[in-house]
Amino acid sequence: MENNIILESIKLRKEFGALVAVANVSIKVKANTIHSIIGPNGAGKTTYFNLLSGNLEPTSGRVIFKGRDITNLPLYRTAHLGIGRSFQITNIFPNLTVLENVRLASQALGKDNFKFIRDYRHFEQYEHRAYEVINQVGLTERALSQAISLPHGDKRKLELGMILAPDPELLLLDEPTAGMAAEEVPEIMELIQKVQKSGKKTVMLVEHNMNVVMSISDYISVMHQGQILAEGTPSEIASNEVVQSAYLGGLYSDLQVS
Amino acid sequence: MSEFTAPEVAKENIYWATIKNSRGLLITILLLAILPFIIALVDGQPFSELLSNDPGQSKFYQALMIEIFILAVYAISYDLIFGITGMISFGHAMFFGVGAYVTGIMFKSFGWSLLPTIGLVILAGIVNALIFGIVLPRVKGITWALVTLGIAEVFFIVIQSRELVDFAGAEIGLQGVTPPEYLNPVTERLRFYYLAMIFMILVYIFYKRFVNSPTGRVCIANRENENRAIMLGYNTFWYKLTALIISSVTAGLAGALHAIFHPIIRPDIAGLSFTIAALLMVLIGGVGTLSGALIGAATFRLLSFGLDRYLGGSSQIIIGIVYVGIVLYLPFGIVGTWNQRSVRRKEGREQLLRMFTGSKEKKQDENEE
Repeated sequence: MENNIILESIKLRKEFGALVAVANVSIKVKANTIHSIIGPNGAGKTTYFNLLSGNLEPTSGRVIFKGRDITNLPLYRTAHLGIGRSFQITNIFPNLTVLENVRLASQALGKDNFKFIRDYRHFEQYEHRAYEVINQVGLTERALSQAISLPHGDKRKLELGMILAPDPELLLLDEPTAGMAAEEVPEIMELIQKVQKSGKKTVMLVEHNMNVVMSISDYISVMHQGQILAEGTPSEIASNEVVQSAYLGGLYSDLQVS
Repeated sequence: MSEFTAPEVAKENIYWATIKNSRGLLITILLLAILPFIIALVDGQPFSELLSNDPGQSKFYQALMIEIFILAVYAISYDLIFGITGMISFGHAMFFGVGAYVTGIMFKSFGWSLLPTIGLVILAGIVNALIFGIVLPRVKGITWALVTLGIAEVFFIVIQSRELVDFAGAEIGLQGVTPPEYLNPVTERLRFYYLAMIFMILVYIFYKRFVNSPTGRVCIANRENENRAIMLGYNTFWYKLTALIISSVTAGLAGALHAIFHPIIRPDIAGLSFTIAALLMVLIGGVGTLSGALIGAATFRLLSFGLDRYLGGSSQIIIGIVYVGIVLYLPFGIVGTWNQRSVRRKEGREQLLRMFTGSKEKKQDENEE
């Protein structure tokens, strides 16, 4: 049972001055599942996500990835362990082509990064992998256009592709559908699900829109005011009264249920 | 899903593409190589006189071109850290100044010959880059720029200090450097011309290859979005340091050439204004284009040469206006704007072709219908 846990946070806590954004959150993520963290605005989801991904230093607590403490690892090391991260704000190389974006992502964990003279196109394995991933996320048509010229939805797909290129075991995704048109959301969610199923990957998803994750998640943790309010399978969460009141305004006056 | 096809463009033979894209470079090399002879022809100077370095128009313009070659190497080294890797440095003149002063002092005060001096210049360049790079993990962007400014200003003050007057010549500059006989800029100017030209071209080719290498691509990624590069698993510090070392060594070598070429090494070449000159040359030519730095350097030097000659002291005003004009109307620099419009030029040419040949095809189409 213990071997099944790929990512674990132990009493993770983050304080900003007097504000406790994340209060001793402990979550265990099982391998090969989609685990979502949901919660209303200001629940501390993104802060928690940044603690997991290493962008923020926790006040106390630890993050364990496959039995290894990664709490204080430098940001670039985390990628080498097999963790891919994407953030709420689209984070790509704007003036490079889609292909080059993904190619750089697949080159990152290779052994050719300090070769000065040889043309990068000679290292075909990275380009090959890049095309594979671009195909997977459905951007083949746009492989040679500049990343900045893509519509927003495609940019998010590109970002997903950049995370997938090094073939990570764990994907940390912070609101992958942020800012997308409503009709594009199911497409990207299906994509995430397909990726997870086909590659035996674990996905940890932070979402604020409940409906989006209900259908694809294996487990859901509900966050509220920096704490875990409830945990369980989607159906358990859906019938949980505390969660309903948190979303519907009993505990928190936010009408974010869409 | 597993089946995919790479677009044809990507599969094009890399070697062939390189040769095709190097046409401009080859033409430039050829033109520069015969330039002294062309000027001699125009001037009516026999080639025998030219080859024995007799005074004349050709010799005069060779000196100007040598200055451009040195400036071009200096500018391209700035483009590597500014335009490619995306770091703004305000201390770049120090890279150049260290090379020039190390060469001058070693020649004059210690009587070193050329090769060990060049070795020392390279070593000094690496040390210099390490000094600049030591703070890189801590500060970024404009803060780093100010740190580099501080370091470079310290060097600028040190070389002008009274205590070092015997070595560096204080604010007057380093005088009395005797270059090796076979590289004497006066008696062996033509040889110096070709040496500087080859040096510039080798640097350009090396830079071009570096930018297109896996390491260089990561430098570009660093410019585009450093956080993303880190998240992908690149420790950007090493890439920035690599770019700094390459840049510092080449700028130092350009400085060494400068020290051999000029009778006086003035402290100005280590000052902020010379860094700004590098920035200007890169901006004129096109940021991050490499060849733009060379064209920018030529424009920069020729503009001030031409205007100084005809307008004298007031030329600075005109030069300033020209720069404002360039920044306003060519915001991506000469090469950058050219590249950007090349797509549209291509479309225009095709349209023109269609106007002449396309009308026939149209008629055929109609006939078929």
